[in-house]
Amino acid sequence: MPETKLIAEFFEQNWKKVEVLITEKSLVWEKSKIDFREVADLEIVQHVQKECIRIRREKDYYFNFGEKQKQVFRFLAFNIKSDKFAVYFLSPALRGGVLVSNSKWEKGYFSITESAVWFLSPERQIRVPLNTIGSVNKDTRTVGDKSRVVLSLSHMENKEVVTSFILCPETTLELLLDYLRRILEQQKPKEKLSDIEEQILTMVYTGLDSSNIESVLGISTEELNKIYDKFVNLGIAKVVKIRKEIELTPKGVVIVSESAKKLGGGKSG
Amino acid sequence: MVKVLVVDDTAFMRKLLKNILFSAGFDIAGEAENGKQAIDLYRELKPDIVTMDIVMPEMNGIDALKEIKKLDPNAKVVMCTAVGQEQMVKMAIKLGAKGYIVKPFQAPKVVEELRKVARI
Repeated sequence: MPETKLIAEFFEQNWKKVEVLITEKSLVWEKSKIDFREVADLEIVQHVQKECIRIRREKDYYFNFGEKQKQVFRFLAFNIKSDKFAVYFLSPALRGGVLVSNSKWEKGYFSITESAVWFLSPERQIRVPLNTIGSVNKDTRTVGDKSRVVLSLSHMENKEVVTSFILCPETTLELLLDYLRRILEQQKPKEKLSDIEEQILTMVYTGLDSSNIESVLGISTEELNKIYDKFVNLGIAKVVKIRKEIELTPKGVVIVSESAKKLGGGKSG
Repeated sequence: MVKVLVVDDTAFMRKLLKNILFSAGFDIAGEAENGKQAIDLYRELKPDIVTMDIVMPEMNGIDALKEIKKLDPNAKVVMCTAVGQEQMVKMAIKLGAKGYIVKPFQAPKVVEELRKVARI
């Protein structure tokens, strides 16, 4: 991107129009400047009713570049402070355990910033937050006609496990594997889970609700709630819904009795 | 209703699959914990679909698939595999498996795959 002047919206208590100068090394507006080497993270987010680019330095800056948003985002993604490795990548290769048939290998970079890893190509800039990475392994895949060792990286996206493959020289692969494994190790809960706890985690991931889990495992609501609390305390799950259990008052019982009479008096009764 | 035979060596996985399929309106014809049992039950129950784990004791899912296809060339078998076993899946597809699901799976994906295979 050559040195460019753009009119953008900048958020400072509310959205206001500013002229932004984007150079090779920095982004300048009004009396402020962000050097790309200082940017710790970058993301397209919704902020105060607008889709915008969030630039994280020591604090967050929000810009909406309108029609030029994708172009600016791509430029920033390639230029912020990161460790970049030339790779081929296939992302997503699997989604929710099913092969993504229209996904293709792309030539680009695997980039590591403070809080995310990125798959970068001229067409796509995919940000994978570090705290969503679930596993990283070596795998053997057929690429072209050859069997090749690739890095398999799985992460959570919209409640689904998405697996991507990275093809790169062996030394790079080992380096990335080691780095990502260390990240995963840091994120692992300190306490080991029991077999039944691991099964419950699997069932939650699969999509079973609490009553199903209780019936599959033959455990009580109280036992399950205790295990849920443990998951929440370990930071591996969050509460999204609290189910209510009720019993009828005499008034409610009267309504049921009346209703039963109606059913009993019908044609089928 | 579509009748499904669930084959997996772990009781937990069988329970989980049965629960998902039953909730989605499939009929559970039976369950087997290895390839040999799967062949016997296929002969006996004639299910519409088989979900077949790959790594199992006694007889693995690939060998069971071959035998079931000998018994019934139109058998609809969906392989149930883990991440990293894609080569096995490719082999299974060549041998006539109609689809596959990868563990850990999510209920909607499983149901979608089985419904797709049921329509074939």
